[in-house]
Amino acid sequence: MSVKGQIGRRDFIRAAAALGIGGGIWKTAAREPGSMVWQLDPQQCVQCGRCATHCVLNPSAVKCVHSYPICGYCDLCGGYLQPGAKKRDTGAENELCPVSAITRTFIEPPFFQYTIDEDLCVGCAKCVKGCGLFGNGSLYLQIKQDLCVHCNECAIARACPAEAFQRIPAEQAYLLKTRPEGGPAQT
Amino acid sequence: MKGLKRFVSVLAVLVVFSCDGEAQFRFPMPEFESDYRQPEMYTPPPGRTNDLMDVAVLAGALGVGAWLVLKRRSRPGVFLLTVFSLIYFGFWRQGCVCPIGSMQNVAEGILDANVVVPMAIVAFFLLPLLFALFFGRVFCAGVCPLGALQELVAVRPVALPQAADRVLGLIPYLYLGVTVLSVSTGAGFLICRYDPFVGFFRQGASFNLLMAGGILLLLGLYIGRPYCRYLCPYGVLLGWMSRFAKWHARITPTECIQCRLCEDACPYGAINTPAPEEAPISPREGTRRLGKTLFLAPVIVALGALTGMMAHDVLARLHPTIQLAERVAAEERGYFSDVTLESEAFRASRTTLAELYAAAHAVRADFKRKSPWLGAFLGLVVAWKLVALSIKRKRVDYEVDRVACVSCARCFPYCPVEDEDAKTQKHKA
Amino acid sequence: MPKPKNIKREFVPHQAAGRVAMGVATVAGVFSLIVCVLLVTNYLQVRATAPLDNPELLQLRKTLAETPGMDEALVKHIRALDLLSRKAFFTSQAYLRMGGRLLLAGAAVFLVAFRLAARWNPKPPAPQAGPDEGAYWSTIARSKELVSGIAVILVLVSLTAAYLTPSGLPSPAQVSMLSQERGSEAPPSAASVAADFPTWEEMQRQWPSFRGPGGIGVAHYTTAPTQWDADTGTGIRWKVEVPSPGFNSPVVWDDRLFISGATEHVREVYCYDTDTGALLWRQALPPFPGTPEPPPQVSEDTGYAAPTMALHGEYAFVIFGTGDLACFDFDGSLVWGRNIGVPDNHYGHSSSLIALEDKLFVQFDDKRAPRLLALDAATGAEVWVATRKDISWASPACVRTPFGFELILASERDVDAYAPDTGTLLWTQPGLDGEVAPSPTFSGNTVFVANEYAMATAVRLSAPDNAVKSEIAWQWEDSLPEVASPTSSDEYFYIATSMGEVVCLDVERGEMVWTYEFDQGFYSSPIRVGERVYVTDTEGTTHIFGTGPAFELIGAPQLSEPVFATPAYLDGRIYVRTQQHLVCLEENGGN
Repeated sequence: MSVKGQIGRRDFIRAAAALGIGGGIWKTAAREPGSMVWQLDPQQCVQCGRCATHCVLNPSAVKCVHSYPICGYCDLCGGYLQPGAKKRDTGAENELCPVSAITRTFIEPPFFQYTIDEDLCVGCAKCVKGCGLFGNGSLYLQIKQDLCVHCNECAIARACPAEAFQRIPAEQAYLLKTRPEGGPAQT
Repeated sequence: MKGLKRFVSVLAVLVVFSCDGEAQFRFPMPEFESDYRQPEMYTPPPGRTNDLMDVAVLAGALGVGAWLVLKRRSRPGVFLLTVFSLIYFGFWRQGCVCPIGSMQNVAEGILDANVVVPMAIVAFFLLPLLFALFFGRVFCAGVCPLGALQELVAVRPVALPQAADRVLGLIPYLYLGVTVLSVSTGAGFLICRYDPFVGFFRQGASFNLLMAGGILLLLGLYIGRPYCRYLCPYGVLLGWMSRFAKWHARITPTECIQCRLCEDACPYGAINTPAPEEAPISPREGTRRLGKTLFLAPVIVALGALTGMMAHDVLARLHPTIQLAERVAAEERGYFSDVTLESEAFRASRTTLAELYAAAHAVRADFKRKSPWLGAFLGLVVAWKLVALSIKRKRVDYEVDRVACVSCARCFPYCPVEDEDAKTQKHKA
Repeated sequence: MPKPKNIKREFVPHQAAGRVAMGVATVAGVFSLIVCVLLVTNYLQVRATAPLDNPELLQLRKTLAETPGMDEALVKHIRALDLLSRKAFFTSQAYLRMGGRLLLAGAAVFLVAFRLAARWNPKPPAPQAGPDEGAYWSTIARSKELVSGIAVILVLVSLTAAYLTPSGLPSPAQVSMLSQERGSEAPPSAASVAADFPTWEEMQRQWPSFRGPGGIGVAHYTTAPTQWDADTGTGIRWKVEVPSPGFNSPVVWDDRLFISGATEHVREVYCYDTDTGALLWRQALPPFPGTPEPPPQVSEDTGYAAPTMALHGEYAFVIFGTGDLACFDFDGSLVWGRNIGVPDNHYGHSSSLIALEDKLFVQFDDKRAPRLLALDAATGAEVWVATRKDISWASPACVRTPFGFELILASERDVDAYAPDTGTLLWTQPGLDGEVAPSPTFSGNTVFVANEYAMATAVRLSAPDNAVKSEIAWQWEDSLPEVASPTSSDEYFYIATSMGEVVCLDVERGEMVWTYEFDQGFYSSPIRVGERVYVTDTEGTTHIFGTGPAFELIGAPQLSEPVFATPAYLDGRIYVRTQQHLVCLEENGGN
């Protein structure tokens, strides 16, 4: 086998490989590409608490968000107060949030506004569960996209028992609950 | 069931106003009398995801790498590139998405017509392979953040015995095969799941992975690039490309003078020594053995396929559906007194037991179809290695092993032969 | 062998600098190691103590919730512990972040110093004399052996793994058998049991479910006592105390009466002799796979035992707020049982069970996936599942229309009918609203549902072209029930409200025939027994009136105890579950 012949064979294989890769890739990527991000569907969430523990980040990139338009502004808030709380105040024995990340502000009788402090929130979903059980479900979890590091395989998605995580287009990076104007509440 | 609604009756009036079947929205939106305005929800957009900027940096780094290795033959240059890549792709871009992981997205895109793979990810997968096809594994040399981290910690590398190196070198093929099988069956992205170093870049990962990464790095002080050589599945593809590289890094800039100074230069076992002219066995015996190995090759492949099929049950446990179904089945039989979150969530869902089992059986059938291919692939790799070992090489010089060489340029300083071109250029200067 | 003329820059040693670098590397290495150990210790500690889920704190909170009034000392204790936990959590987080950075810096310094040390103590190339030909060949031979050896080991390991860990997944054919295995020691075959199940006619003579046969609030028997007195004991055949609480109503089959009761810790079924009131047996449910521990939170107005049991020949079915569904035979042995989960709604399991032929029907109103389950009564295996649109507190009724059996379910918006055999939705009509607790009733070919704050709706069924057609016959919007379900006679529907109003409506046109206001409200549902309607108010007074076109009060005997459950009316007897007792009333009972 001559040196020349060997080079010719190598060139051929190289060209074939380049074409093969290129073709395969073209076929794969020919369709409209767009960045996708992870997000969790609050409708499917079962509040298991794994968002707090399974994110590669510490604290988790999943935080509780508050959809004010569907909040009832209740005094007796299932997301803020311990079940069976004796008083509706900020005492530790009454507060549900383990890190005190929810602020309760009096608006007017009988309404209170609840605000999440994201720096404190660990995404444990305790308030989400409370709000879902006895309230409007206006507190729910979302991946904060500015914190998320966009893992190729989301560690929480894999641990989620309810398969609530999905990839969605980066332009619409949140799955929010809303209440349409005038009509009944929908999601 | 009587008297259940006493406490609700207080709220019932409110419920009526909301006129609403959705049980979650129990209370109507209050009508504020004060001029209270609802705060906006804070929903920050994603920071930069894998965009074309990264692709440009990748292409640039690959180009610079090829130039440094092939043209400049500069070990310090490659070293600096390594530091840059570690900082940019590693600590700045936090290691995602990397070409190693992009392999899975591309495989998924090819196997599943519904999956759209963004262009940037395809480019991440493609560019290092194309560069390897022309310039060798310059991606490994100084662009890959995982390689960079290991390259930097390889301070006192010692060479492993060649035979051990070869055997451990089989693991990446296994990893590659299992990864593709996992992607094709929807069991998830193993490479990302078990990436040992990305945790350092993000300053966070599971405890076990951080520990594994730490141990690999400590090991990497003395055994050069353990992940690259004995685990990395993308390295397998790069090796295949690099075998046919048009221009590949060479130990000597011009001609080998057989000084043997480079013999211990490569910590990665990528320098092939000259083959002795005389074999201990006669050429006829050598040919006979080669023939026997070639004849055995299909048998090995078939055996591999058979093993793959027999082991499909075990492999299928990679899939979350199988894990759930087996867990639920065991619970149903009373093997466990407790439940997992998964089985609890399943029982609360509207999926029936029969549906779960049916889904699990479908997944398993998928594995049964695909596992033989994994086995056959591994059989082919083993057969190929054996054949390659049986072929008598004609090699008079010290040469890089194009498949194993990561173009790190460590061996360049060991060669006493001066680069004539470089010398003339220096003189001119 | 030609020797290099001069040593390259890379291989010039600087021993003094090398020693310094090595010293720095050692210090940095030791530092990093210490930081690393501290980090790991901190991590393991935090993981072990889980400050945010501090069990002691949870326990204290629970104690506080259970103690009446404010225990100031306890509150103080909770606050202190809570502060401690939060401190522990945030400090450890800060430690982890800080430690991570220190470790990174330490490792970087170590690496740079170690690299420099290596650089200044280089190992210049030192080739040994002459290439070793023997080593070349032996390496190749060893490699071959090792590669083949590894291949063989891989094969053996795969096969052993496959052999040693057989899949626990049942084959599709085994699934149904599996559900039978869960049953008693000698599981009867499904076919033979199915043949044993009572017919519709046999069921009419019993009180097999909530609000009687078919669950429509109409008794088969026409006689029931009209006079009794709790104070003198007149008309009371027997009276026993109920062991544990539950809002469920008694069900009776021949001489057996069943009720269930549950607390947070125990879920029990009680079987009584209808003649003597003797407790024949009581059985606690074992935990099944999936039984939530601790039990789910339930509203105190639902409790853990709100749904009424269903009886079917020799079988008694029971469901609890934990989602535990079980089947006992009349001797108290568990035939089958499983946990079907806790529906995600704000009241828990509240709908009663009902059985027909070989199936048991369970309304599982999870707000995200409300559904109606049909289970094989003999084994508990799922036969079909029908998806529902909305949830309700109400219970299914099973009626025989001129066009076949139908399961009638109320939901928050509609009234729906399903085919008992297949789960097919036969028809659906709007006509409800709000949170619906009253269950449907039925007369001739008209289904009747009603709910407070919404309306009452009569749905008429016809089959003009052999296909069943449903249409809203009329609606009524004035006095409406909140909890108690309506009852019916051939001509009239009767509504009892929580305000104490009773309304009689004409079946044909929905016109009000008469209305009467009692002092107390009704949670217990009215039941028609022959020519009389019985309804017990929340104070325990039973109002008995005639079914005629004018209001005619026949009697108002008292039990003087709160009653929420609906009594069972059988041949000449009434079985009432009051808040504390189970009472059997009979014309000549007691003194």
